[in-house]
Amino acid sequence: MPIGRVVATERRPNTPHEFHFWTALDAPVGIGTIVRVEGPPTGEGRLATIYGVVVEGFSYTDLQTPLHDVIGADGDPAAATRAPTDRTEIRLYTAHALRHVPDEPLQPVPMGTVHLATEDDIAVALRMDGYLRAGQHTGIPIGVYRSGTMQAPIYLDADFLLGPEAAHLNISGVSGLATKTSAVEWLLSSIFAHFPAQKGSVAAVCFNVKGPDLCFLDQLSEKLDDADRALYEAAGVPAEPFQHVEYFAPWTARGHALATLRSNAALSHNVHPLSWGLREVLQYAEVLLNKDDVDAKADALIDFIRERVVNQEFSDPILPRAHTVRSFSDLEQWFRDVLRGMESRNAETWRTHHVATIRKVRNRLTNISTRCRGLVTDDGTSNDLPFGSFKDRAVYVIDVASSEEDAQDLIFARVVSQLREQLERRTLGVDHVVVFVDELNKYAPSDGPDTYVRQMLLDIAERGRYLGLVLFAAQQFRSQVHRRVVGNCGTALFGRMDMDELATPGYATLAPATRIKLSTLDKGQLMVRHPHFAQPVFVRFPRPAVLGGREGVERFPAEPEPSLEVAVTRTLRALDPSVTLEWVKQAIVAAPEDDVLRARNRTLQARPEDVKAYFRAQFRSRVQAESVGARPASLPLAGAGGDDPYGF
Amino acid sequence: MGPTYPPSGGAASVRDALRAVRQAGAAEAASEPPLELRLVAPEPPRLQRAEPLEGDAVRVRRVPGDPVVGIAAFLDGIQESRVIAHWPGGIPLVHGTVAAAVRLRRSRTLVAWRSDSVRVERALFVPRAAVGEAAWDALGAECDVRDTLARGEEGPWHPQEFTARALSAVQRRRESAETVCAELWCAEGDGPLFVDGGIAAVGAAAHSTRAIGVVKSHRTLYVDGDALPVVLALAAGERTTAFTVTSPRRAPVASWYLRLREPAAHDALWGLVRVEAALDGATAERADLVSRWLLAERAPVSLPDPRWGAMAYGVRLTEEYLRAVTR
Repeated sequence: MPIGRVVATERRPNTPHEFHFWTALDAPVGIGTIVRVEGPPTGEGRLATIYGVVVEGFSYTDLQTPLHDVIGADGDPAAATRAPTDRTEIRLYTAHALRHVPDEPLQPVPMGTVHLATEDDIAVALRMDGYLRAGQHTGIPIGVYRSGTMQAPIYLDADFLLGPEAAHLNISGVSGLATKTSAVEWLLSSIFAHFPAQKGSVAAVCFNVKGPDLCFLDQLSEKLDDADRALYEAAGVPAEPFQHVEYFAPWTARGHALATLRSNAALSHNVHPLSWGLREVLQYAEVLLNKDDVDAKADALIDFIRERVVNQEFSDPILPRAHTVRSFSDLEQWFRDVLRGMESRNAETWRTHHVATIRKVRNRLTNISTRCRGLVTDDGTSNDLPFGSFKDRAVYVIDVASSEEDAQDLIFARVVSQLREQLERRTLGVDHVVVFVDELNKYAPSDGPDTYVRQMLLDIAERGRYLGLVLFAAQQFRSQVHRRVVGNCGTALFGRMDMDELATPGYATLAPATRIKLSTLDKGQLMVRHPHFAQPVFVRFPRPAVLGGREGVERFPAEPEPSLEVAVTRTLRALDPSVTLEWVKQAIVAAPEDDVLRARNRTLQARPEDVKAYFRAQFRSRVQAESVGARPASLPLAGAGGDDPYGF
Repeated sequence: MGPTYPPSGGAASVRDALRAVRQAGAAEAASEPPLELRLVAPEPPRLQRAEPLEGDAVRVRRVPGDPVVGIAAFLDGIQESRVIAHWPGGIPLVHGTVAAAVRLRRSRTLVAWRSDSVRVERALFVPRAAVGEAAWDALGAECDVRDTLARGEEGPWHPQEFTARALSAVQRRRESAETVCAELWCAEGDGPLFVDGGIAAVGAAAHSTRAIGVVKSHRTLYVDGDALPVVLALAAGERTTAFTVTSPRRAPVASWYLRLREPAAHDALWGLVRVEAALDGATAERADLVSRWLLAERAPVSLPDPRWGAMAYGVRLTEEYLRAVTR
């Protein structure tokens, strides 16, 4: 049964891409409804079928001015409703064409009958028929399209979501409406359930940048209702939390616990420290050093240290002894000896590096362990993501919500670089990795300085699809994100949007009614842009099956940072259940706190057979590391001497 | 010229008629406004005494009770005539379209009553004796043609006489279409039919209690000099007592004046209608009830139609419908 009829006037003609139709007043048509137009036979005798999505709606009567209605009702609004005849009213809709069948010749939409699209029509209209064929199914459900009682799953093409044809996903929406994070959680579940076997394995690395948002991905939500379960069933996605989730977080500044809201003892089994030593950090020193800091001379010195000094024995005539630099403490000691050696020889340069450059690099490098305290260890111990043994359908969450901005940048840069390198070498353990980053406008802003992190995001956006490195990014204001980053995202999702944001030029291609609808979307509704879809479509998605951040911290309250003894006990007990608090107290008695933490970290990194023995051994060997803060405030300048503080 | 349905069809569309006149050798006319707008030959205003039916003189009577919805359907007709060509000798060939329809009110919306309650007719109106048999046959071969002259009538004719005759012929076809619709309703319809115009000339409808005629124009006022002030002074919601309207070629009907709206800054006839109903059963109570029905039709107003003071919205909708289906 037709629900409308295409109309066109000289003032408002139809084009191949836009058409108008009217419906009965009670027709179930609205903004976002997908319709099918059946036109007259073409010259070849084939029926022309055009699919379109409603983007604008109008309603008006034969009233020429509102004053006429006032006159007719004698100024009494109630009288108007008592009129025996309703004014003739029209529901006129504008639709944008999704697809013409046949597609040639591309002609203006004919004056045909309009029908609500069926589930089969939806597949054709959105060109999903090309990737939902049996044996070549690469569809990933993104949600369900609803029209009246009909609902049809909407699929994204995995080749265009996770590469190699196109890739990346960007999601925008105002905060606090459970859209951005929820949509990504849902989509990851959908990817894990539907990612085609022939395309290999897939894992996700999620950066938790605020609060407890992603801290409970392995816990089942209790908020799912029947409607949600129906959506899961329609999409063929199991309504259950992620099966394999690993959490990583830096230590707190004191180092007793991990800096994450997932600190409840009941959930500690899959929470791991994320800490890096000198070797790991020096590879990404550029992240923490801005261009004003690192000129060509400083860069040369850093390269020299990286290539010739770190993790090898280094000797030089100006040094009193050979150095093997493995930690920030070692590096500080090395700098001190180099500067003393130069001083003793009254030299302004050493190996072409000027003393001022050496001092600057020393200052910038050695304070990294202070700026990134908790993440960067003085002693060189390292706990990292399981690069090389990533598991299929696993989620690796890196909780950086409590970290300083520098540490966040460093974590992001190093993790993503490692992912890229290992994907290039095919040694990561999986074929595709989805990297989810929230608050993208902070990491890849449209304006501001050109940072290392932004360059890295640009690189992923522009080249990641060939490697299987896929960026899922979210932000409140898409207009504030670098246009090359969002421009390279093949798929874009939009939740409820702020009207001010919708007024920016990036949304000018949307019809006014579509923009208004975007500003009033309910929770669980999205507008989807995808390379196969000629026009954006609106879908519904269910609540994530995982425990939300707010629910999670209520059910699993974060625990306060424990004392040193308790912290060590908990860590070691994870390796050896026989470790007790009393034993730890005895083992660390009289040991400085830094030494205890260093011993704990080394034990954690080594994961020895005999945990107790290994832990005790750390105190016997007494790692001779000095804290960065212990170095002298300044050294005499070359040439300065005698009593004259100015060196004259 | 037979009735056609669906309405968008037609036995002689303008395109058909133009093709016919071209093939017959007539000169195509420049596009001009419809004859209905050009040839206004109104009858002179006049007063005509009518026989009182309710009492012995025309008096004012306030319609008792509130307006009440009683009208079930609306009948209206339209016509449009255009000179599309000229035959040698200055003889105009006129294309005429007439339409009439009954629109049923259902759930406060007007809908088609039944398919044969919509009448659309199109034809070429030609003075047969003037153009000659050969031309008549040639035109008739291509489209429906109607003779505008009486059988056996002979010239010479004033050139404007042809257009006046054509206009009259079209008008008769429109009245005929309206009559068919009205009689159909009176025979098979359910409830009162609001007829736009009088019912005295609408065949059997003149005798049916299902037909209510509402006349908006008042070139002839059916009162004598004494009663005239009574009619002109009617206030909104007041009517005159009923009287009988008779005419040599029309059926006698009961009639009364009803003021729908206060004339305010308009002339004294603004907002005034003359109601026609069958004489059978034409009591004071019936006139009051019919008046209440008509007062209920004041809303919504028919603006922007200039006749909105006396025009029911249902009539306006029917007119709009007929315009839509004839274009």
